[in-house]
Amino acid sequence: MELSSENTGGAVIVKAVGRVDGANARDFHEGLEASIGADGESMVLDFEGLSYISSAGLRVVLLVAKTLQQQRAKLAVCSLSDSIREVFEISGFDKIVPVYADTGDAMSGLGV
Amino acid sequence: MSGIQPPYKILVVDDEPDLQPLVQQRMRRYVRSGQYQFTFAQNGVEALECLRQDDEIVIVLSDINMPKMDGLALLDQIPKVNPNIRSVIISAYGDMKNIRTAMNRGAFDFVTKPVDFDDLKLTIDRTLQQLLEWRDALGARDRLVALQNELNVASQMQQSILPKSFPEGSDFEIYASMKPARSVGGDFFDVMRLEGGVLGLAVADVSDKGVPAALFMMSSRTLLKGSAIGLGNPSEVLAEVNNLLCEDNETAMFVTLIYAVYDPSTRMLTFANGGHNTPVLIDGDGNATRLPLTGGVALGLVPDLEYEQMSVTLSPGDHVILYTDGVTEAMNEAEEEFGMDRLEGLFSQSRPDEARAVNDVIFDAVMDFAGDAPQSDDITCMTLRAEG
Repeated sequence: MELSSENTGGAVIVKAVGRVDGANARDFHEGLEASIGADGESMVLDFEGLSYISSAGLRVVLLVAKTLQQQRAKLAVCSLSDSIREVFEISGFDKIVPVYADTGDAMSGLGV
Repeated sequence: MSGIQPPYKILVVDDEPDLQPLVQQRMRRYVRSGQYQFTFAQNGVEALECLRQDDEIVIVLSDINMPKMDGLALLDQIPKVNPNIRSVIISAYGDMKNIRTAMNRGAFDFVTKPVDFDDLKLTIDRTLQQLLEWRDALGARDRLVALQNELNVASQMQQSILPKSFPEGSDFEIYASMKPARSVGGDFFDVMRLEGGVLGLAVADVSDKGVPAALFMMSSRTLLKGSAIGLGNPSEVLAEVNNLLCEDNETAMFVTLIYAVYDPSTRMLTFANGGHNTPVLIDGDGNATRLPLTGGVALGLVPDLEYEQMSVTLSPGDHVILYTDGVTEAMNEAEEEFGMDRLEGLFSQSRPDEARAVNDVIFDAVMDFAGDAPQSDDITCMTLRAEG
């Protein structure tokens, strides 16, 4: 699993590539926490390159959403593959974290 | 942490009277600075006595030729008193035969007479360094063992909450099993007999692994059981368990759970889904249908949610499969997933007529598919068979 982040004025976009499972969920968490920007700055998780996410990974997404919420910021995910979209839909996570088609949609959805 | 601190205690063993004052004089500043502390013995017997009385001695510096017990015999005895001591032998210059014997008996290093004290200091420090690293490694191993024990406890907790036997009746069959992954996972299942001959069936998957997940699993299962017995209605049960799990859940653990109530007298199955994989119905001809996703959110995340429930009336001979994603996401060595299509296609050619046999076919298929690929998640599967 590889993470890369860029700050595009108002939101941090983090690209996650590879697999997130129980074995690297902690790295995933630390990586995302480290990418959190200034107070009030939202985050978009670009999952285009993500092939798999386990429940441990979903939990990290939620923890990061909570951290951002405390900083009056939001979290969105975008560019989900069919299998990851299915994971979000089955688990009901799409009702907790907003899901967008791509980073552009996510940015406008977050009002950035 | 090695657990040993300076001054490092060193036992010097020699029958000749001139070594003790020399060591005391030449090593004086290291003793004064609190780096070393020396103790002296005249022969092997005295040396062993010193070691028995003082378990803080870390290095033995010993001559070879001594009365009563010589240095080579002493080397054999030291590990019996304290296996963590390092020995350095003092031998005559060029006495390769004794040096080789000493090394074979476990001496860590040697110095030669006449003793060069700069060389002795280097030898002692090198020995100490190796000893400290060794003790660190031992400590790491002990911590690993402790961690493993903790994981074993979690694994036992997980196993202990699973039903060992299943309710029996003339008008239904039920069977379930779980194959835990190596690391402690969070799957569980439950089968409850409720009022009026009705059955409560649950299959669940707790996020993450390890001891916190196992504890979360225990409380999920207990809350579920309490709500199931008190309320009955799956949508109410999930709503209540969700609210209870949301209290004080700072760690954002969650559980995906399917809860179903089956009334064998009407063959009606009513289920609600908290973010879990949808059940699959296998009819008498072996055709598979996915039961609808009722759209519930995983439990423990957001309070005050509503959970929709849905009912289906089964026909005699129908089997309903409840499972966790350990089944559908099992991977083979080519990193392909077992997937829904394989699960649904399993019985298209033939289908056994017993719940347990159907359940076993699914497990066997998943295991065959995975081959030698490591199992990364718990695999849980429950099969309900409706009888006429």
